[in-house]
Amino acid sequence: MRRAMPARISATRLVVIGGAMALGLIGSPAWSADVEYGRHLSAECATCHGASKSDSTIPDIHGLGEAHFVEVLRAYRAKALPNPVMQSIAVRLGDEEISALAAYFATAKKPK
Amino acid sequence: MTDITRRHFGFMAGASLTALGLPILSAPSLAQGKPRVVIIGGGPGGATAARYIAKESNGAIDVTLIEPQKTFTTCFFSNLYVGGFRDYKSLTHNYDKVKKGGVKVVHAMAASIDRDKKQVTLAGGGKVPYDRLLVAPGIDLKFDSVPGYSEKAAEIMPHAWKPGAQTQLLVKKLNALKDGDQIVMIAPPNPYRCPPGPYERVSMFAHVLKKKGHKKSRIVILDPKPAFSKQGVFTEGWEKHYPGMIEWQDPKIHGGIKGVDVKTGEVKTDFTNYKPALVNVIPAQHAGKIARDAGLTNQSGFCPIDAASMKSTVDPNIFVVGDASIAGDMPKSAFSANSQAKVAAMVIRSELTQSRAFPARYSNTCWSLIAPDDDIKVGASYEPVDGVIKASNSFVSQRNESADLRKQNYKESVDWYNGISADIFG
Ligand SMILES: Cc1cc2nc3c(=O)[nH]c(=O)nc-3n(C[C@H](O)[C@H](O)[C@H](O)COP(=O)(O)OP(=O)(O)OC[C@H]3O[C@@H](n4cnc5c(N)ncnc54)[C@H](O)[C@@H]3O)c2cc1C
Ligand code: HEC
Repeated sequence: MRRAMPARISATRLVVIGGAMALGLIGSPAWSADVEYGRHLSAECATCHGASKSDSTIPDIHGLGEAHFVEVLRAYRAKALPNPVMQSIAVRLGDEEISALAAYFATAKKPK
Repeated sequence: MTDITRRHFGFMAGASLTALGLPILSAPSLAQGKPRVVIIGGGPGGATAARYIAKESNGAIDVTLIEPQKTFTTCFFSNLYVGGFRDYKSLTHNYDKVKKGGVKVVHAMAASIDRDKKQVTLAGGGKVPYDRLLVAPGIDLKFDSVPGYSEKAAEIMPHAWKPGAQTQLLVKKLNALKDGDQIVMIAPPNPYRCPPGPYERVSMFAHVLKKKGHKKSRIVILDPKPAFSKQGVFTEGWEKHYPGMIEWQDPKIHGGIKGVDVKTGEVKTDFTNYKPALVNVIPAQHAGKIARDAGLTNQSGFCPIDAASMKSTVDPNIFVVGDASIAGDMPKSAFSANSQAKVAAMVIRSELTQSRAFPARYSNTCWSLIAPDDDIKVGASYEPVDGVIKASNSFVSQRNESADLRKQNYKESVDWYNGISADIFG
């Protein structure tokens, strides 16, 4: 399932992501994603993203559209988005890891 | 073979335990029933591991968590309680959801570990056998690292480095101070839990005094270390928010910390005798007693582990995570303990149920509040490199950052607290 970018993503972020796309930093995943690997990797994200509310600075990423998810993570990886916390997380994610995470989170539910 | 499949193949091979350089142990035979994992300590390390093993194994592993306390009060964010930004209740969590998640919680102290028989003896005498044991007892304080200090003395000069009554005592003493009073903090030597913690705490002391309108009160930090975590940004913040109030002394300045005297209330250094109204002594630390008694520690007082699995280098059936472990570049933090627990949980499951194993990766961020809406952070990603956990992609707050960014950091830290608490306790 692919979803349009959520409204909460800010205009500046969109510009940055747009720029990253133009630079060819963002493309579509090249292989079919390994959801089990994504689930494993998602444990790292749960420390911060597990209890987000609508007004949280750490956004809820459960159910995020895959295309958007991939774009944003690649933008953090390229340091085109500024938050050093997410940059440090994203820098060591390869395309395979990002696709796996995107596929997992697309249908994952926030833990209750 | 196409590029893609080769890549997948490489990944799978890299993920097997042999390739990770771990000894392969025979899985317990199914005839004995479900494999048993026992976890000592229900803090960020132990509770996270318990929940992840139970959740991800879907009941295929029998998980028992041994923890004497019915509720867990976090040390993390306890400084915000000191500063009046949180109430005590908001730091306290129970084990209801851990239990609902399929973990057997035994509220008892583990008295000893019999590594040959692979069983834990409880303080009440009960025995709990295991196939794999995860040890996460946190730290114990070495009271005698500061001459004159003791567990008894802590009732007068609190450490508040373990959660609970100590933190409440510290807050009571802080709130009773009058303008012109002095606070002395004796900071701990490395390694200790929460490297920025003492300096965040001093910031919170200063915030409380400033809010009460104190003009003459002073805070002295006597540090056995020549430098400390996030020093540049802490110092900048102190000058900005609390000019003249906080004095940090390294060993060159104080000449050596001679000790405390609870009877006279004095703190002595090589150069000066202080008689402060409040003394906060944070002594040196080592791994929790159970880990030391079981022979899991080395001469450092902490437990050596394999960087790719958090497995004890002393016993292949035992894992150590959190403050008790020697985790290379990782600081002793709740975030680190939670991160290490997930690696250990993954390796334990794969050893016991042949579930897929993946290369270890760790992360940590520590936020510290200097003043209202002025929060700084430090963090990194970590991976095993040549048998040691090494940091990469590290970052730290800089001087002269905008107020907006610092406020954003604060909000982030609150969201993190909620996130990690849910991850640890459900
Ligand atoms: C003032 C302060 C501020 C901090 N701020 C932060 C922060 O902002 N961010 C951060 O990430 N970290 C922070 N920390 C550090 C964090 O609290 C610790 O690193 C973390 O609690 C370590 O988790 P652990 O599971 O290893 O040990 P612990 O949290 O100490 O848990 C160990 C548990 O084991 C139990 N136990 C011990 N022995 C036995 C036994 N024999 N049998 C059964 N159970 C046993 C104990 O009862 C305890 O519940 C802070 C610490 C302090 C003191
Ligand atoms: C240390 C805390 C932390 C961890 C761990 C973490 N994140 Fe984040 N994440 C954040 C913060 C903070 C933001 C908001 C950053 C910003 O303001 O740009 C964020 C933003 C995001 C976003 C952007 C969402 C959107 O709609 O804009 C995605 C996607 C994301 N994270 C994915 C992940 C994934 C995947 C992981 C695990 C591999 C992860 N994060 C781990 C803190 C964290």
